[in-house]
Amino acid sequence: MRRALLPVTVVTLIVVAVQLSIFSSLRFAGVVVMIVWLWPLAMGLAGLTTLALWCAIVAGVFFDTHATTPFGLTALVAVVLAYGASRLGREGVGDLDSAAWWVTPLLAAAAGFIAPVLFVGGSFLTFNFSLWRDGLVAAMVVNAVAFFVLARPMTRLARWVGHAGGAR
Amino acid sequence: MATDRTRRRTWTLSIAVLATVLVLYFTTGVSTGLRAGANIVITPFSWAVNAVARPIGHLLAGTVNYSDVVEQNQKLRYQLGLAEERANEAWAYARQLQQLTTGLDVPFVGSLPTVSAQVITLSPTNFAATVGISKGRDSGILVGMPVVADGGLVGRVIATTPSGATVRLISDTASSVGVTFKSGKTSIVVSGRGLNSGLDSTGVPLGTSIVPGTKLSTDGLNGGLYPAGLPVATVKTVTLTPGAATYNLTLQPAADLRHLAYLDVVLWEPPG
Repeated sequence: MRRALLPVTVVTLIVVAVQLSIFSSLRFAGVVVMIVWLWPLAMGLAGLTTLALWCAIVAGVFFDTHATTPFGLTALVAVVLAYGASRLGREGVGDLDSAAWWVTPLLAAAAGFIAPVLFVGGSFLTFNFSLWRDGLVAAMVVNAVAFFVLARPMTRLARWVGHAGGAR
Repeated sequence: MATDRTRRRTWTLSIAVLATVLVLYFTTGVSTGLRAGANIVITPFSWAVNAVARPIGHLLAGTVNYSDVVEQNQKLRYQLGLAEERANEAWAYARQLQQLTTGLDVPFVGSLPTVSAQVITLSPTNFAATVGISKGRDSGILVGMPVVADGGLVGRVIATTPSGATVRLISDTASSVGVTFKSGKTSIVVSGRGLNSGLDSTGVPLGTSIVPGTKLSTDGLNGGLYPAGLPVATVKTVTLTPGAATYNLTLQPAADLRHLAYLDVVLWEPPG
């Protein structure tokens, strides 16, 4: 696990940079696809619990430094997604080799659908009650579709990077 | 046994993360420091990704959108010509108005210095309507200064660095602007509904003579966040829910907030 920590951290920082440089400007129906949530989710689906949580924290915190939304909220949502996915990943649900091809994308799509809701729900903890006003449904749908499409390549990358250090 | 240990470690880590996040919420000093530190770490990665992705993106966008670019260029040339013509006509009026407002001691944006800046980044998230601009503290830009572009108010500066600043747009859900119209006797509050949804106003008194097409501008009330007279929006619809004692308005922002390229920061600070 420790050997994988460095490559995973580097890839996570690259994912954040890709998010900020490409995905945040490349809007679909005005919506930003949040690959900073998809990356820890994919790591979780690959069954790498600790690394998934680490990715979630790093990706979330670094992304939050560039956003004006409550600091730590993206990280919090990423941690929740990573933890949930890693529980499934540990049981072999969504495994790229053994499960049906659509299971991983479907799980990711479900996560993409609920992630914006978790974000808005989390914002209530910071007494911010206005975030739900900004196209929540569109964000849910677009992220679900994008997560569905990107889930398999992302999970494959996560498995490859995560297992670089023989992590389990 | 090993599974128990792993599970324990996972729980401990999760609780530690949650505790850290909660602490960060309530200690803005720490969060500001963390933001600055994290920015330093992420910058080289962003730079590298940009160096690779931007030329490819420009190439693709240029290939796909070439005819649009030509059309847009022609349109812009035409608009530039019109704007120059109007600027010449407006110069004399502006001078007269400036003399009048100076005499009345009323702040007028035409008399205030501005700094032009380029929009370099959009909000990275779905839940904030902000833009990053190319000038910051070194150019005299401070937190709280109003920002205008394209014929109207765009927002206000909420964060600065020596060479850049973040502008919260008036369409952000956390934004509210005090505005007035016509005679200037009634003030109402305009709220953002998100980058894709524009502006609205609720709680407008029933006696108010407001109709679609009415233009709203900042009220400049004492202690307000903006100087008086900045165009904000035009009323699109006026609705009255049965049984309600107030109107709800949907508004069209005066500036095109979704296609900002250049904007002007008004070097004016809110009083107090």
